[in-house]
Amino acid sequence: MKKMLLFVVLSMTIFMAACGSNDAEGSSEATETEDGKQIVTFWHAMGGASQEALDKIVASYNESQDEVEVRAEFQGTYDEALTKFHSVAGTDSAPTMIQVFEIGTMSMVNSGHIEPIQKFIDEDGYDMGHLEENIVNYYKIDDQFYSMPFNSSTPVMFYNKDAFEEAGLDPENPPQTFEEVEAASKAIVESNPEMKGFALQAYGWLFEQLLANQGALLLNEDNGRSGVATEIGFTEEQGKSIFEWVERMNTDGTFANYGTNGDNMLAGFLAEDVSMFLQSSANSRDLIDNAPFEVGVAFLPHPENVEREGVVIGGASLWMSEGKEEAEQKAAWDFMKYLQSPEIQAQWHTDTGYFAINPAAYEEELAVEMHEENPQLKVTVEQLQATNPSYATQGAVMDMIPEERKIIETALESVFNGGDVDTTYQTAIEQLNAAIETANKARGE
Amino acid sequence: MTNMTAVITQEDQALFVRTKRKQRYKQFIKGILFLLPSIALFSVFLFYPLLRTIYLSFFLTDASGATTVFVGWDNFVTLFQSTIFQQSIKSTFLFVLYTVPLTIVISLFLAIIANEKLKGIGFFRTIFSSTMGISVAAASVFWLYLFHPTIGFLNIIMDTFGLEKVGWLTDPSWALIAVAVTTIWMNIGFTFLILLGGLQSIDKYLYESADVDGAGYFYKLRRITIPMLSPTLFFVVTVTIINAFQTFGQVDILTQGGPQNATNLMVYSIYREAFTNYQFGSASAQAIILFIIILLMTIIQFKLGERKVHYQ
Repeated sequence: MKKMLLFVVLSMTIFMAACGSNDAEGSSEATETEDGKQIVTFWHAMGGASQEALDKIVASYNESQDEVEVRAEFQGTYDEALTKFHSVAGTDSAPTMIQVFEIGTMSMVNSGHIEPIQKFIDEDGYDMGHLEENIVNYYKIDDQFYSMPFNSSTPVMFYNKDAFEEAGLDPENPPQTFEEVEAASKAIVESNPEMKGFALQAYGWLFEQLLANQGALLLNEDNGRSGVATEIGFTEEQGKSIFEWVERMNTDGTFANYGTNGDNMLAGFLAEDVSMFLQSSANSRDLIDNAPFEVGVAFLPHPENVEREGVVIGGASLWMSEGKEEAEQKAAWDFMKYLQSPEIQAQWHTDTGYFAINPAAYEEELAVEMHEENPQLKVTVEQLQATNPSYATQGAVMDMIPEERKIIETALESVFNGGDVDTTYQTAIEQLNAAIETANKARGE
Repeated sequence: MTNMTAVITQEDQALFVRTKRKQRYKQFIKGILFLLPSIALFSVFLFYPLLRTIYLSFFLTDASGATTVFVGWDNFVTLFQSTIFQQSIKSTFLFVLYTVPLTIVISLFLAIIANEKLKGIGFFRTIFSSTMGISVAAASVFWLYLFHPTIGFLNIIMDTFGLEKVGWLTDPSWALIAVAVTTIWMNIGFTFLILLGGLQSIDKYLYESADVDGAGYFYKLRRITIPMLSPTLFFVVTVTIINAFQTFGQVDILTQGGPQNATNLMVYSIYREAFTNYQFGSASAQAIILFIIILLMTIIQFKLGERKVHYQ
């Protein structure tokens, strides 16, 4: 009997010890390579063509000096990467730096596990003044930079120039307003019944952009920038205009429904099943290279009865983890500065279609050449420069924005499938306001 | 004489009872010791998380999952009032209804035909069970392309037959069916293998004596195969139902819960609530509800189903 007890206790101890030693191993994770280079782990969410472009840049940085080795690790979509970060934040498994999309900004600030970039800017006397003004506007919160801007894009309308020509439309003069898009879609379908006119992905980000382009606020309290937002900030007319636009094209039979799946939409566009669609300019290079036809890029459309306001910065910025050794943070900071340099931004811009956050990049030979060859890449830059700085185009900040997007996406899908605009809109608004309320309550303030 | 025996028996009995009690106590300790490793593991990986989930379900949380405000039953009340959650429960039950019977009927059919002793039957057995070796992610991506609205194989077939194209994953009335088809296809491999195993272990002499009696093929199927297979069938039904309730990967890759939440099955809904909306409280409440539903379903199955099961 006693022997057995002893045995059990012993085996339990061994079991516990095994668990314990595992932990110990985790904490002594190497921060230096064998030849003494400082390791910087960099989590990012760039898949596909953008990942290749990013890996190229990381490799060039690692070769450019022999003190730091950056290890870039792909962590899935922006959503997934952010979730993973939240679950390891504050532990030793957290990366040195992580790329987080713009709407994760508030959730990162509130997480308490990040080191504001402002600290390094001050210590280093680094000047952020050379960055694109609109980007500075977005990422400066309470006069502080929490994160380093990196990749930014704007939504643009891609269109099939060849199809425009066949339909008797001017390929150099793409539609500018909702109404013109409808008319062009009809013309396309008339000339080629196999092809749909227009596709809108059920994607909350695009909805936010279409709102901003009308000068509408997403949240009250100046998009949550003057105080904590308590409800939505757009009017019924502004919000519904997008739903009704889709409904009209649906009735015309010119709308292609790809649901929430962006990849299907891209594939559909490349297979010449649809002639126009909205998507991030980050896809420009990929589409221009792979389409068997001439691809046009145009500004985001707006309703005829309102002026174009402009677009909100999309994309992501780089965040520094709190609680890392100073040498490691310094190394990451050095890499962040490298990413801002005109040469790297020029390369990034021409490889992907993200615009250069450092305008000096456009003077680089590489960018100038590429703009001559593919003038479509310039559209995203022009659209950003044509944007009126305002609360609407500064973009909304709040931690419930990921949830807002899901609600909007459901509502859009329901309209795509012929649902009633009024009831769909009402339900969505109620859900949005409830979500804002819960988010405010959960902060416990 | 009789008195004497009575006394002895009384003393004996007292001793007997004491020894028995001691024995029982020893037995109990022994039993507990044998159970200890599994109790320890279960406590760490099941009981503690379960209690923690129950605890979380009464709170609101911040983005890292730390509790902020105690709200009592509010999370549950809000859930039952929410149309999204009602839709989610409805979709989950429909999904179970679509997938479980079909998976079992198809696998049973395949298992019965693959049970015949024919030349090269091994080849077919491998093919039929092959989906077991395919990961959920790979299978979903494969089906994602089949379901593509314009260049997908299924719609191309529909087109050649002059039928209207179906928005498999974008039309709310088709999406759940599309996910169900994918799931059935994926589950067939495992179910087939288990059922085939069950068929192989049925004693040959049963069939031989039935042959002697001159029983026909379908009579043997109905009176020997199905009853002898019933323990395996019962196992397969239970496991398939629980799996269907816990479907996640296919939904995540094929539809992300859309269109219009038509495929927002409970586990996916929990995931979304916790890791997209960062509402861990409400997500925990959903997890508790799912747990209760699965528990009830399993109890009902054991009460109703097991009576019909024939154990050898």
